Amino acid sequence: MAAAGADMKPLQNAMKIAKVAIQLDAGNRHKEAYCEYLRSINFISHSLLEDAVSRQGEIVAVEVEKMLRLAEQCLERAKSSFIGRRDEPATPTSYTTPINLAALSLTTTLAVSPGKIVSPQPQEPVIYSGPKHNPRPGQRRVLSEGGGEVTTFLPPEVFQSLQIVESQDTRKELTPIEEASRLNQKLKENYEARLARLPPAQARTQKTSLTLSLQRQMMENLIIAKARQDALQRKMEERRLRLQEEANRRFAASGTITAEEQEQRVLYTNVLEYEQDHDWPKLWKANIKKNPDDATLVSGLVSCLLSCPDHPVMMLLKRLQYRVYNRLYPIVSKSLPASPALPMKPSHSAQSLLMSDSHQNASKSEVGHSMSSDASLNISFSHDHIAEDGDGPHTLDRENSFEDLEQFLTQLDWAPSHGDPDVTFEQSQLDQEESLVQDLEMRDLKEHLKAIVKDIHIAIDQLLSLCLLSFECLNTASSKDLCVASIEEAFFTPLWSSLLALFRKVHRERELCFESSMRLYRDALPGDVGVASKLYPQDPVVLHGSYPYDSAVQELRLLCRDCCPQRKLECIVRTLRLICACAEDYSCLHEAESKTAAIGADDLLPILSYVALRCELPQLVSECAALEEFIHEGYLIGEEGYCLTSMQSALQYVESLHTGGFQLHNTKFT
Amino acid sequence: MAAGGGAGNKTYSFKVVLLGEGCVGKTSLVLRYCENKFNDKHITTLQASFLTKKLNITGKRVNLAIWDTAGQERFHALGPIYYRDSNGAILVYDITDEDSFQKVKNWVKELRKMLGNEICLCIVGNKVDLEKERHVSVEEAEGYAESVGAKHYHTSAKLNKGIEELFLDLCKRMMETAQAEERAKGNGASQSTTSRRGVQIVDDDPQAATAAGGCCSSA
Repeated sequence: MAAAGADMKPLQNAMKIAKVAIQLDAGNRHKEAYCEYLRSINFISHSLLEDAVSRQGEIVAVEVEKMLRLAEQCLERAKSSFIGRRDEPATPTSYTTPINLAALSLTTTLAVSPGKIVSPQPQEPVIYSGPKHNPRPGQRRVLSEGGGEVTTFLPPEVFQSLQIVESQDTRKELTPIEEASRLNQKLKENYEARLARLPPAQARTQKTSLTLSLQRQMMENLIIAKARQDALQRKMEERRLRLQEEANRRFAASGTITAEEQEQRVLYTNVLEYEQDHDWPKLWKANIKKNPDDATLVSGLVSCLLSCPDHPVMMLLKRLQYRVYNRLYPIVSKSLPASPALPMKPSHSAQSLLMSDSHQNASKSEVGHSMSSDASLNISFSHDHIAEDGDGPHTLDRENSFEDLEQFLTQLDWAPSHGDPDVTFEQSQLDQEESLVQDLEMRDLKEHLKAIVKDIHIAIDQLLSLCLLSFECLNTASSKDLCVASIEEAFFTPLWSSLLALFRKVHRERELCFESSMRLYRDALPGDVGVASKLYPQDPVVLHGSYPYDSAVQELRLLCRDCCPQRKLECIVRTLRLICACAEDYSCLHEAESKTAAIGADDLLPILSYVALRCELPQLVSECAALEEFIHEGYLIGEEGYCLTSMQSALQYVESLHTGGFQLHNTKFT
Repeated sequence: MAAGGGAGNKTYSFKVVLLGEGCVGKTSLVLRYCENKFNDKHITTLQASFLTKKLNITGKRVNLAIWDTAGQERFHALGPIYYRDSNGAILVYDITDEDSFQKVKNWVKELRKMLGNEICLCIVGNKVDLEKERHVSVEEAEGYAESVGAKHYHTSAKLNKGIEELFLDLCKRMMETAQAEERAKGNGASQSTTSRRGVQIVDDDPQAATAAGGCCSSA
C-alpha cells in the first residue's frame, strides 16, 4: 500500500480510500464503511500534518483545501453511517446511496440547514423566566416580588437567542438553494421508496441506473438553484446600491459625515429595502394620508410596526436592547443584591425568621457589619429561590442552577467572617476593609448606572428618529407621543427586571431604611403618620374589616407588575387619585366639615406616606428612582410629574421614620 | 418651528409651586383661582394638590401647572424636588401670623439659592379680611419683598380678593422671563427639550388644545 501510494498524490490517495468507503456504504456494510471513512480522515490528517510540520510545502494550497473538505465530508458520512448502524441496523438509511464525490461536495457545501437558527425554541419555556411571559404569576406573592427573582437573569447569549426566536415567528421565504435542497430530499426519498419496492433480483440490476439518474437530477437542481441564487444576489446588490444613493440624497450631504450620520444612512437604506419587499408600510402610509385625523390609524400602524420583527426599526430595537442587557448582565448577575427580608411571608417562616434575625443584628451592630450579614442573607435567599423553582413546573436548566451553586459557594466564603462575631479586633479590621471595598463598589455601580441610563436615552432617541424617518406621517406631536410610548414599552419590557436590579443595588441603603420603618409601623394608623383625623374613619366598622385607604394600597402594589416606565407612572397617578377619592368619601363621614372636601398637599403627603408604608414594598424606592430617570420630559410638569414627585417625597419621609424623626404614638396601637 | 419668537401660535407651559405653612390658606387660595364662573366642576382628580389652568394672555396661550406643597415642617426636607424646574413660586403667609411670614423668608432664601434669579417670586399676604388682627405690617412685608426681588400681593381667599390679579401678574412676568431667555438663546429656535428650566414652548397642536380636559379655561 505504501509503495503503491508513493507515486500518488495524497489527495488521490485519500479519495481512493473514501471511494472504497462509499462502496462499502452502498453495499450496506456500514461497519466497514465507517472504518474506511475514519481511515480516510486519518490519512488526510496525517499527511497534512506531515506536510505542515516539515514545511516543505509539497501539497499546494488548493489541494490542502480540497483535502480538508474531503475530510469534513468523510466525517459527516462516518457520523451518519455510525448512526445508521446504531439506530436501524436492518433497514437501509438514507445515506446508503453511492453518490460520487463531486455531488457529495455540492450538497454538503451548498445546502443551508434552515433549522439551525430555530434550535433554541424548544428551550424557551424552560429557561425563560423574564417578566414578559411571567411564567409563574401564581407563585409570586406581592411581597416576594422584590427578592424572589434576583438570580434568574439569563446570560446575554440566551437573551439574544430569545430575541431571535421571537422574530422567527413569521415564515421566511426560502432561497433558491434551500428550495432545491428540499426538492432533492424528496427525490431521494422517492428513489429509496422505489428501490425498496423492487424485488431483490431486479433491484441489483436497476440500482445503478436509478442511482445515476438520481445523481444527475440532484446535480441539475443544485446547479440551477445556484445560478438563480447568484442572479438574485446580483439584483439585490444593485438594488441596495440604488437605495443607498436614494438615502444619501435624502440626507443632504453637508461636507463631512459623522459616524452617526453614516449609521443613519445605512439604517435608512435598510428601511427602503424593506419597503421594496413589503407592501404594508405603503398601504398604511396611503391610508393615513387619506385620513390624517384618524388617531386609531396611527396606533394601528405603530402596533403593526412593532409586530414586524424584521422591520429595520425592530431590528435596531433588538440590537440596542441586547447591548443594554449585555452591559447590565455582568453587574446584576455577579453578586446578588441583598434583598430586604420579607418577614411576612408565611410559607418560608423558618427562613424568614433567620433573615429578619440576621437583619436586625445588622441594623443594631455597627455599619461595617452589614456586608457580612448580607452574605448570609443572600444564602438564605438562594436557598429560597431554588426551593421555589424546584416546586414549580419551571425547573431551572442545569447551567443556571450550576451558576446558582457557584454563587452560593462564593457567598459561603463570606460566611465565616460573620459566623464568629466575637473575634473582635480582626473582625473590625476586616469590616473596615470591607466597607472600603463596598464604598468603591458603590461608586462603580453608580457610574455604571449613569452610563446605562444614558445609553438607554440615546437608544430611545435613535429608535424614535428611525421610526419617524420610516414613517414621516408619524411626525406630529400626538403621533410622536404614541410612538415613543410604544417604543419604550417594547424596549423596556424585557429589560426592566435587570435594570431594576441595578437600581436596587445602588439604592440598597434606602431600601433598608424603608424596610425598618415598614416593620416599625406595620400596625400604625393613618393618624400615626400625621393624617388629619377627619380624613380617615375612626370607627373600624365602616371599613368592613379592612384598613383605611386599602384600595390605594392595592393599586400601588400593582406598580411592580408593570414593566415599562409609562405604565408604572400611570399606576402612581391612579394611586393618588384613589387617595383623593377615598379622602373625599371619608371626610363625608364627618358631615360636620363636609364643606372643605378638596384636599391639598398638606393632607395628601401624610396619606401617601401611610399608603406607601402599608404597601410593604421596599423596592418602591428603587422603582421610583428608576422612573425619575425615564419619565418623559413632557410629563414632568404635568399630573404625572406631580404624582411621581409626591411619591418620592412620601418615600423619603417613610425612610426617615425609623430614625425617630417622627414620634410614634403607642397609645393608638390596636 | 415657526420663525420669529413670540408669534401667536405658541403655547407656554409654566410650572408654579405653591409654598406656605400649614394654615395660611394656600389651598383655598388656589381653589378660589381655579373655580370660575364658567365652570363649576373645577377640581381635577387630584383635587387641590395639583391644578392646571389654561389662559390666554395678550394673544398667547399659557398653560399653568400649579403644584401645591406640604407645609408641615417634617416634609420640608423634600422641598427641592418639588420646586426644581419651576418658573414661578407663590409664597403664602397669613397676615395674622408673624411666624408664617418668617417661614416665607426661609423659603425665599432657599429658592434663590437653588434656582437663582430666574424664578419669579410672589409673596402673598393672605386673609386680608382679618385686617384687624394683622401681625405683619404692610411696610415690612413689601419692603422685604422688594429687597429680594419679589413682588408682594394682598389676597383674601374668603372674599376672593386679589387672587386673579396675582396670577395674571405672575403669568406676565414668567412670559417676560421666558421671552428674554429665548432671545438670549438667539432667534428662539431652541426646542423645549434644551430649555434648562422646563419652559415649554411648543408648536400649537390643535388636537391637544381641544382634547385637554380636567382644567378650566378663562379668556
